[in-house]
Amino acid sequence: MITVLRLSLPLAIWLASFSGVYGLHGLMCSSRWAGPPIGLSERGLLIGAAILAIAVQSLCLVVLRAPKWRDPDPAMRRIGLALAAIALVAAIWTLLPPTVLASCM
Amino acid sequence: MNALRRHRALSRIWASDPGLRGWFTTVNHTDLGRMFLAVAVFFFVVGGILAMLIRAQLASPRSAFLGPDHYNQVLTMHGTIMMFLFAIPLFEGLAVYLLPKMLGTRDLAFPRLTAYGFWCYVFGGAMMVFSLLAGVAPDSGWFMYPPLSSTIGAPGINPDFWLIGITFVEISAISAAVEITVTVLRYRAPGMSLSKMPIFAWYALVTAVMILTGFPPLILGSILLELERAFGMPFFQVAAGGDALLWQHLFWLFGHPEVYIIFLPAAGAISTILPVMARTTLMGYGWIVAAAVSLGVLSFGLWVHHMFTTGIPHMGLAFFSAASTLVAVPTAVQIFAWIGTLSKGRPSLHLPMLWLLAFFATFVIGGLTGVMVAIVPFDWQAHDTYFIVAHLHYVLIGGFVFPMLAALYYWMPHFTGRKTYFKLGNTAFWLVFFGFHGTFLLLHWAGLLGMRRRIDTYEAGQGWEAINLIASISGFVMAIGFALVLIDVVINAVVAIRGSRDPWKAGTLEWAMPTPSAPYNFASLPHVTSRDPLYDDPELPVRLARGEGYLGDPGRARRETISVEIASGAPRYITVFPGNTALPMLMSAITGLFFLGMLLKTYWLVPISASGVIACALYWVWSLGGTTREGPLPVGRGPDLLTAAETADPPGWWGSIFLLLANGTFFGSLLFGYVFLWTIAPNWPPPNFAEPGLGIGLTALAGAALTALGTRWRPGAALLFAAPGLVALAVTGVMTLMLVPDPTAHAYDATLWVLIGYGLLHQPWHS
Repeated sequence: MITVLRLSLPLAIWLASFSGVYGLHGLMCSSRWAGPPIGLSERGLLIGAAILAIAVQSLCLVVLRAPKWRDPDPAMRRIGLALAAIALVAAIWTLLPPTVLASCM
Repeated sequence: MNALRRHRALSRIWASDPGLRGWFTTVNHTDLGRMFLAVAVFFFVVGGILAMLIRAQLASPRSAFLGPDHYNQVLTMHGTIMMFLFAIPLFEGLAVYLLPKMLGTRDLAFPRLTAYGFWCYVFGGAMMVFSLLAGVAPDSGWFMYPPLSSTIGAPGINPDFWLIGITFVEISAISAAVEITVTVLRYRAPGMSLSKMPIFAWYALVTAVMILTGFPPLILGSILLELERAFGMPFFQVAAGGDALLWQHLFWLFGHPEVYIIFLPAAGAISTILPVMARTTLMGYGWIVAAAVSLGVLSFGLWVHHMFTTGIPHMGLAFFSAASTLVAVPTAVQIFAWIGTLSKGRPSLHLPMLWLLAFFATFVIGGLTGVMVAIVPFDWQAHDTYFIVAHLHYVLIGGFVFPMLAALYYWMPHFTGRKTYFKLGNTAFWLVFFGFHGTFLLLHWAGLLGMRRRIDTYEAGQGWEAINLIASISGFVMAIGFALVLIDVVINAVVAIRGSRDPWKAGTLEWAMPTPSAPYNFASLPHVTSRDPLYDDPELPVRLARGEGYLGDPGRARRETISVEIASGAPRYITVFPGNTALPMLMSAITGLFFLGMLLKTYWLVPISASGVIACALYWVWSLGGTTREGPLPVGRGPDLLTAAETADPPGWWGSIFLLLANGTFFGSLLFGYVFLWTIAPNWPPPNFAEPGLGIGLTALAGAALTALGTRWRPGAALLFAAPGLVALAVTGVMTLMLVPDPTAHAYDATLWVLIGYGLLHQPWHS
């Protein structure tokens, strides 16, 4: 079961951060659809959430490499690390928009 | 005991009932897999005939071959049948048939659940086909967007057939997904660790988990839309606080993962067949597994790319465009791994290989146009045109049908025990290949010239006539090709000569048995030390037939197999499977009555049939038996093992875990719907709504806590806590019902009713 968790954790974190940051954006914009852009402080919060998500994702990669946590089966270890790397790239790529866009339109 | 006597003894234990009765009482995965595949092919033929009617209508401008009403029904049912009644069940059938054989076990984890799922599929599919024959088939498009599908746009019974019929069929998908997940994780040959699993099993596992998490949003959407249609609860009506876009979100939360649910099993078949055809091993096994798992998860972050033109915010467009382009990466990883496998091997151009080459040529084009429509400005131009129709057919036919035809020809000798003798298949291949590209390549241009999808006819003089005529002629060429494939398969299955056990010289375990396979698969279970056991030990089939593996002694005269540790594949316990029974078919028939009662608005039938289903389920669980403590039993090799009933985590426990995953996704989708309407809809909550007071919340909390405490203590104390707990919960329910206004007045009220209903439905099970 631990092996399955190791495999599913990185992308589950990505899914959670993706939903979290996008949901946060939706909540911020809920009162101003087609209105003025998100304010500076709110935008800072979005960027902070994106950076936090990327940091957690990086931590996941580091933890899965640590001797204490890594999978005893070398093949599964490689697959787990590949998934963690893919999840990190996915997090950086998909969380980029909140850092460059401020519009609710 | 010699091999023949062992075969006879095991056949007596595992065989389905003889004759016609066997069709209805079988719980054997080989029989049910074949039945699944046969019914899926039947629906493919039905869907194909509908496609030909569409092409006949569109062959010329202002055609009167089909009227608009019939065209809408035919178009809707073509998409519905191909997606829900052909593609998913074909995967289920293939997995049901193949997985135990590939994994080195004797059956799936829950044989009766397989049968229940199959009969739900048959009855649900029959309901849909009946609607077509009766002229009341769904006509709002296979995606059923409201208001086209709400009572305003479709006042008849047509959309109800879709909403109720598809929900019924989805029971089959959820059952199969639970089945496949538990089987792959717990029912493998001893020694088969996760990293030694056949690649097809990885794909099946990812697909099954995707079904468990992808289908609940659609089930929820269907329930909400049916509640709106039947009882006027306005979830999708803007004037009453709802939003039609909620349906699109729920539908595509299912719909986009659905594309990968269809593609991944085909990719599993490709990864299995390609190395055998190239006479080498699969390049980049680990990368392919990582890519499949990534695709499975990333595909849940793309659904909004189907909604780029609905006016969603720029941030949403950027978000989902980024995710949509990202998903091309793991897809490309697989394509390159397959090309690498081909380049390091010595490919032979057998018929399965021809279909795989057709897959490459077609799917790559579909994938590239997919990246094009992931780019928002292009999507705005191409959306709802025939460009999208062409793209999706390149992906679905190229990415699913062609690999499945490769799979059909590859495993045909396994299904029938005969070698492919007649060569009609080669002619059929070229007809289908050229027919397909003749149909859909040109339709890209029709789309770019502005031809909208779903139109039942068009005016001359727009530059579409020649394209549509060629597409229609090519479509009929493709249909002739598919008909030849069917004829070829039937002829080869009936009159071809007996073939050898492993005609392709493959290394996976499904070829380590005589073909067609015996009902017990393996006379004794293998101990696996690599991904291709037959390459390591060509004599393995003979040794297994001699009973040199696990459970080679049928002396206990019951259906036994071994369950293993998830990661290492170490033997864990013996599972005793139930015998043949008509209970699954009976239960699915009663489930059908439940759905029929809702469809025909004969609501008195609903509680009666629901009680019938519960009674069947209780009998099902009760008749499982397994209460006797037998202690450790010999299994022929290694240490003695307990039976599953004597362990802390029997298969049922695992099945419940994955069913809860589906249930959790359903609840998550419900909360998503609430939050979506909250952020989008004006007047949320409506001004006349009385917010529930703190008293109700505290009473509910106290009730739940007391009930939970009561269920954990000994009987006397349980009564002391659980009784007042249940009373408190009942009081909460009554107070809430008194406070919540009419559910037909506003979407907020309707949503609260559904949330309360969900809670009440789950409370008795929890207690």
